[in-house]
Amino acid sequence: MTATVAAEDGAILSVRDVYKVYGGVRALNGLSLEVARGEVHCVVGPNGAGKSTFFKTLIGVETPTSGKVFYRGRDVTRMPAFRRARLGLSVKFQNISAFGELTALQNLFVPLRRNHRKADIPDRAAAVLARVGLAGLEHQEVRRLSHGQQQWLSIGLSIAAEPDLLLLDEPAAGLSAEETTKTASLIRELNRQGMTIIVIEHDMGFIRSLKARTSVLHYGRLFAQGEFDEIAANEDVRRIYLGTA
Amino acid sequence: MPQSPRAALPVRILASFNGPQTLGNSRFFWCCWLVAILALALLPCFASRYHVLTASNFLISSILALSLCLIWGYCGILSLGQAAFFGVGGYAYGIVGINLIEPMGNTDLALLAGVLAPAAFAACIGGLMFYSRLKGVYVAILMLVVSLLLGLFMRQTADPSYTIGGAYLGGMNGLGPATASDPALPSLTLGLAGYAVEFDGRGRDFYWFVLGVGIAVYLGLRWLVNSSFGYLLVACREDLQRTETFGYDVRLVQLGVFCLSAALAGLSGALYTAWGAYIHPDGFSVAPNILVVIWVAVGGRKDLTSVVVSTLALNAISIELAAWGEISLLALGVILVTAMLAAPEGVAATLGAWIGGIVGRKRAGSATSSVPARLGAAL
Repeated sequence: MTATVAAEDGAILSVRDVYKVYGGVRALNGLSLEVARGEVHCVVGPNGAGKSTFFKTLIGVETPTSGKVFYRGRDVTRMPAFRRARLGLSVKFQNISAFGELTALQNLFVPLRRNHRKADIPDRAAAVLARVGLAGLEHQEVRRLSHGQQQWLSIGLSIAAEPDLLLLDEPAAGLSAEETTKTASLIRELNRQGMTIIVIEHDMGFIRSLKARTSVLHYGRLFAQGEFDEIAANEDVRRIYLGTA
Repeated sequence: MPQSPRAALPVRILASFNGPQTLGNSRFFWCCWLVAILALALLPCFASRYHVLTASNFLISSILALSLCLIWGYCGILSLGQAAFFGVGGYAYGIVGINLIEPMGNTDLALLAGVLAPAAFAACIGGLMFYSRLKGVYVAILMLVVSLLLGLFMRQTADPSYTIGGAYLGGMNGLGPATASDPALPSLTLGLAGYAVEFDGRGRDFYWFVLGVGIAVYLGLRWLVNSSFGYLLVACREDLQRTETFGYDVRLVQLGVFCLSAALAGLSGALYTAWGAYIHPDGFSVAPNILVVIWVAVGGRKDLTSVVVSTLALNAISIELAAWGEISLLALGVILVTAMLAAPEGVAATLGAWIGGIVGRKRAGSATSSVPARLGAAL
């Protein structure tokens, strides 16, 4: 398993030789990566590997110093975040990213109002809440929901506009074992429904439960790539990241 | 206040002003609101001319406070320079009014200039700020600096060369006619189809006009913040980056609201100039800018009604305390600090929520059962 990038037909996302330099630090150091349409793709790596910068580059918060990012075959390298979202690229941030002072329903109003008539929103919001396991909590203020429920609502907000590609930054952060299992099931279910999902995560147990293709970042480059079992069995990866060698 | 499609028209109209972004959505609230408006409308019938004059100024201040409430309370943009737009509106009204009152016989265009000039100014400043991703305290400070610079410039316009047509900027003395033959700052004179109605700033008619404008601004903003666009404003306030990832150009949203807010502040400035027949550079200084923030913060920046109540009450208290002499400012300061410590979310808003809670508990149990129906009710 080497750090090579295979050009794939049907890639929904393609990152090509991307560098991001902060002062003298190369947060991304020639990273190249492709994500196939319809897959769940996990990205792992220790602190400083460049995961956060990679994530910000994908969603348009950061612009690469050099290199290209293609989404659905279109160069989006310098495209602002809102335009990428309109192309079907959705995101859930690591921290709770639902609006705390609004109810679950009012939260869903924000992504849904862009593409739906006001009269249609209640039915659609109810469907989204049911999809993420929050049926019946539509009138709860978000700050009164549990941490897990807030994470699922955040995912609900991200999928409300039926995106083609969903980026999840540490979706299992701070969740109990039961909530983590439920979140993994939710991700698999969304993927079964046709959504391509990229998961950036520290929790190897969570990654294992997704049984997905996994990319390992190291010093801003792609270090290894393959199915999780292959990654977990890789001696170099175990020595450097898992600490079990 | 959910309404079926077959509800009576007045009820449906009223429902468009209600929603989760405002306190006071019940019939009880609107009854109290009508009584308050009626009392304000009847004020000139039993109050002295001095009190009517003062009340007009309070209402003008309320419009200014609402303009800040819109951007700060609902969109999360704190501006410490809101008085800049007030001043620009006032000067624009005066300059256009002096030049056009004789040929046109009314101040329609002057009033329009008082609204559009600050909006255009806000488009320039806001465009620079929001498209360079400036936010938070930097916007607040930059706006204060802009206001102070405008004040500094206007103070240096005492030279007779600072004239625009028949209007002389006048430096510290404020705006006035360039020559003795030019007209003075005109009263508000609205012309329509060959007729012109003059509203003397010291009279009852002017008070009623300002009251009507204030009601229109209040209801307009209630409609706006409770519309679907209102959710977008609140989302921008809560998390700008997250809102952008839903496909919204948040810079454009911020800029649009900023311009609307500036237009409202300019409207109040134009009315102020018409009210007192003067406008001078002190309006751009620190004190007026901070005063608006205090009105909004003490009332409760996230609710329009609270801001209006707070502005009227604080202005009235200031006037009453002024009779106490030197300790009046100290007393006012104690009141403000105590109010902000006791109710950080705003005194009027906290009281309103408390009353709303009592009314709401009495109505508990009337919710409908199906999820879409309840969702629809909430919207």
